[in-house]
Amino acid sequence: MTDRYLILEDGSAYLGKAFGSLATTTGEIVVNSTMNGYQEIISNQIYHNQIIVFTQPSIGNTGLDHNSYESVLPSARGVIVREYENLAKDHYKRVSLDRYLTQHKIPGIYDVDTRQIQHHLHQFGNMKASIVDVADDHAFDQLHATVLTNQQVSQVATQAPYANPGEGDNVIVVDFGLKSGILRELSRRECNVTVVPWNYSSEQIMDLDPDGVILSTGPGNPLDLPDSVLKMILSIQSQVPVFAMGLGHELFAMANGAKVSKLKVEHHGSNHPIREIITNEIFFASQEQGYAVDSKSIDHSKLFITHIDLVNGTVQGLRHRENPAFSVQFSPDGAPGPHDSNGLFDDFMEMISRRRQNNGNRY
Amino acid sequence: MAIDINRVLLLGGGPTNIGNENELDAATLARLSALKKNGTKVIYVDNNPFSVTAEEIQPANIYVKEVNFANVTNIINKEKPDAIMATTGGLNAMQVAWQLVESGILKDNNIKLLGIKPKNLQVTMDNEQLRSLLKEINENIIASKIISDEQGAIDFVRDVGLPVIVKPLSSNHDTNRFICNTEEELEDALSKSFSYSYIEHVSIEQSIVGYKEIEMVGVRDQKGDKVLVSGLEDMDPIGIHSGDSIIFAPTQTLINEEYQTLRTATFRIMDSLGITGCCHIQFALNSETSNYFVTKVSPFFTRSTLLAEKASGYPISFISAFLEMGYLLTEIKLPSRFNKFTPFMEPTSDHIVVKIPVWPFEDVPETDKHLNTMMKSVGSTIGIGRSVEEALMKAMHSSQFSPRDILPSVTNMDEDELINQLIHPLSSRILILMEALRRGYSTDELAELTKIDSFYFYKMRQLIRAQDYVNAHPLTKHAVDVGHQYGLGDGMLAQLWHVNISSIRQINLESNFNVTFKQLEPSAGEMIQDTNIYYSSYELENESEPFEEKSALVIGRGGNQLGPNSAADYYTSEILITLHHCGFKTIIMNNNPNAVSLISQLSNKQYIEPIQLGNILNIIELEKPDVVFLPGNRHFLARELVRRNNRHMKIVVLPADQKIATFNARQATNSVITFVDGKDVLPITTFSFLNDDSDRHLSKIINFKEPMETWQQDESTLFDEAKERIDSEKWQGLVEVLFDRNETGHFDFVGIRPTRITQTALLSKTTGINWVAILVRKYIGKLDVNQVKDALNNRNPQRFAIMKAEFPFKKIGSPKLIGNNHQEVGSSLTFENFSSGSRANL
Repeated sequence: MTDRYLILEDGSAYLGKAFGSLATTTGEIVVNSTMNGYQEIISNQIYHNQIIVFTQPSIGNTGLDHNSYESVLPSARGVIVREYENLAKDHYKRVSLDRYLTQHKIPGIYDVDTRQIQHHLHQFGNMKASIVDVADDHAFDQLHATVLTNQQVSQVATQAPYANPGEGDNVIVVDFGLKSGILRELSRRECNVTVVPWNYSSEQIMDLDPDGVILSTGPGNPLDLPDSVLKMILSIQSQVPVFAMGLGHELFAMANGAKVSKLKVEHHGSNHPIREIITNEIFFASQEQGYAVDSKSIDHSKLFITHIDLVNGTVQGLRHRENPAFSVQFSPDGAPGPHDSNGLFDDFMEMISRRRQNNGNRY
Repeated sequence: MAIDINRVLLLGGGPTNIGNENELDAATLARLSALKKNGTKVIYVDNNPFSVTAEEIQPANIYVKEVNFANVTNIINKEKPDAIMATTGGLNAMQVAWQLVESGILKDNNIKLLGIKPKNLQVTMDNEQLRSLLKEINENIIASKIISDEQGAIDFVRDVGLPVIVKPLSSNHDTNRFICNTEEELEDALSKSFSYSYIEHVSIEQSIVGYKEIEMVGVRDQKGDKVLVSGLEDMDPIGIHSGDSIIFAPTQTLINEEYQTLRTATFRIMDSLGITGCCHIQFALNSETSNYFVTKVSPFFTRSTLLAEKASGYPISFISAFLEMGYLLTEIKLPSRFNKFTPFMEPTSDHIVVKIPVWPFEDVPETDKHLNTMMKSVGSTIGIGRSVEEALMKAMHSSQFSPRDILPSVTNMDEDELINQLIHPLSSRILILMEALRRGYSTDELAELTKIDSFYFYKMRQLIRAQDYVNAHPLTKHAVDVGHQYGLGDGMLAQLWHVNISSIRQINLESNFNVTFKQLEPSAGEMIQDTNIYYSSYELENESEPFEEKSALVIGRGGNQLGPNSAADYYTSEILITLHHCGFKTIIMNNNPNAVSLISQLSNKQYIEPIQLGNILNIIELEKPDVVFLPGNRHFLARELVRRNNRHMKIVVLPADQKIATFNARQATNSVITFVDGKDVLPITTFSFLNDDSDRHLSKIINFKEPMETWQQDESTLFDEAKERIDSEKWQGLVEVLFDRNETGHFDFVGIRPTRITQTALLSKTTGINWVAILVRKYIGKLDVNQVKDALNNRNPQRFAIMKAEFPFKKIGSPKLIGNNHQEVGSSLTFENFSSGSRANL
């Protein structure tokens, strides 16, 4: 049980004990308050360049389950938790949390007051942090000097297209740092899926003869991506049904003229009530958001707001007025998080089948 | 959106018993403040003499009657309420509500049933209707069938597979249930069962023994918005009643997909039943296949509902009252110390709560102590921590009756007995499981043997390692640190090392080890709000600040045991209420999730901690209260606190003077209760003890009549004698003078003792004077004795009050019929007119 430190950009340091990899890493520190699904959270590419603080006090309790990975190669920069349990429940009793983190070079620290860190970050906002052996001036200098990459999407998204064949509708998934939950939902609906790189052009996508296109979740700032992505979205949305989530939602909004800004405190959890405006119903979903669409910037002749977060008022869903295209900020695939909004995938399939009935004409 | 309700009839939970601790009174009292806020007039029916709720409602609006169909019908005819609230009255009240629906009384009188629509209430109360509803919405339920021949069984097993449970119907072997894992076992079970059954019919059902038992508690408003308040995981598998299980909140061994599936199922069921309010649903989950069955749907308050409230910090009792009255989740206004979003944010926790039940086997030794499908525990205690180990250790600590910081030892048990107890668990099972680990059983072996998830054995092993380390390194800085992290408080460390607790506190001081109190709240630190609930851990940030105003700490009694359990909770609650009226900021320390005294409406701050010396000292050190109240017989604690009292803190034990009780004899038939203040000895009333005729022993005084049967002729004589007997130099407060009526009809003086807690509660109900409040005022110097005199001068008995003890014997399978006053589990109260003249039928 090696002692290690979590140090924050503002000069604070927390002593804890090491687990997982003993690498020294730097990332942006964020707090996730979802109570289940540490495995889904750690393996979600959205946490590229981020150090995740879990408010759930105990993780590792169920080992790692082969159905619950959100990516094959996780890219989080660290895991901070009150305590972890190192047990394996897979068929061969091999993969425990400690082993998993070590294999993927993710350092962890346990035995720290995560509730205090949560309070601290809520007060002072998200910031850079490092996991280090010694919390000395050198370590802080390194932390301050580190510039985190803004090429996050190209680092985690697939470089080459690949197929996930199925018997049903032909769905193209544009990978900005895809989580497997989206593919799982499409598989359940028997879709024939092709996952394409984030920088595919609309021509390349249309050549694959899509019934619908999904713009995936992913890490980082949507403003870091080139305008060509927005052009691709504009072109696609006028031709086939589009469903965008997370980073995809932010890009969809930007393509249609809205502005996106960074939140002072990122929100990662599934405890905020989300209101669906048309039904006035409240539901819950896993939210992992560092950015939000600025509601004032929305051009209401193009988009309308379908969902809002009742706690912080952020836009949680948009729909195009003319095209069969819609987006949500949260993760409706429920991996992790509630299944309440799973039906959005059905809405997407519905759009696809309606379009087919109209022989590909707009409706 | 609220529906227009001016007068609501609130059905009480009745006397406490097994499966009905104080949770219903706690939930009722919490919702009373919601009803008051809404301006609704409450009419209340209950016959629990220890109900705190009843103290908070105008006497004119209370009916002291058993909650049954006939009584409630009469009250409805007289009071003409607009609506009826049954959800905080337990299953009994729901059944009465069902009868009211069936008989058409609600419809005829245009009375709304709150919480659930009448047709849906019928569905939940009728097992067959519930099963078909669940099937309709594609929820799995356990298949079961009644068969008359072997072929029926073969067909059944072909459909659902093995294992199955076979039970003969109409048989004198009524305890026979055969669990059949193989076809041979099935054949054998069938031939036996058909021969045992007089009618040659056998029931066969899918066996889910060994499945995980998961409980979900949610709330829903009339528009259909829902919040899942808490998931609870029973450590013990199906086969042990959930009331006897060790329960963890939040769930510990479910993967996200399993948890979300059960959450969704909970919502689907709540929607299909149109619940407005809270609902508690139990599931059996097969952890290998992730398949589940719905095993129980309770659209009303249960112990688990209250546990979910305590575990999450989400005020279900208060919120659900508004939901039942038709408010939406987004319309409910909580007290301003809460974040305004709390009613419709899904609770998330950064702490772990472990519940360990308390069993009555020490008080009722002649019982089968095995844990099975019949619930036997009488109380619950919880431990809260920031790690599983810490929470578990604190819960084990809390579940001990003695406040001396020690856990029982089972190290001397022989191997055969150990194995036997692993397979056939007794109430002490957690100690046995840990002992097995200590002796080298592997986590996998134990998981296989007990069907408990191996995760829990990993955690127990961590605890054992920590304990071993602590044992091996006495009085070292690091061992104290390790002990703290694993939930061994200073008190336990002192006991393990056989040193005085002050030695540990010295190490804390030198090493800067500070206990930190964390707020228990439902947003895992995201929202700044004040639930006022705290638990300890040893970390960096302390969130509990002492009051600037004068404050009082009341040390609760912990989990219910037999004896004056619910009365003691009443007593504790009234102490808090009075201290509040006297201008104190009140602090309660307790660990009973069902305690009325622990609801947030009754104190300014609640500490959920083991009631152990070390933990108490930590709180005193932080809060520096002006007064500490110890309700009940707490001499060890009182002595230890007095010894360590270096701040002129007032320490009050109530009832006072328990040690100086004097007796000439050990049997009595009557008594006089007096209030002694200074030199004033004020007789209050008389009691007849309605014992078994043959047995007048003091310990058998369990049934009371007030005033005494022959009060008109004998009371004034006994009053005079009591006054003479009491030496006010020696006796203060509520004092009972005991008499025994001999064969000649003369009352022999027997002895003097402080008035017991149960009788004090009864006295308050019958005299209309809150005697706990008077005692508290007396001991903090805020009593105007003339007011007491005036109240007593106006006393004019109108009727007999009869309080009868209830015993748990039948429920726990004990052959006993009549017990003593250490074995009662609750009491019921009735009134009888003087004119009726007949002796109460006891």
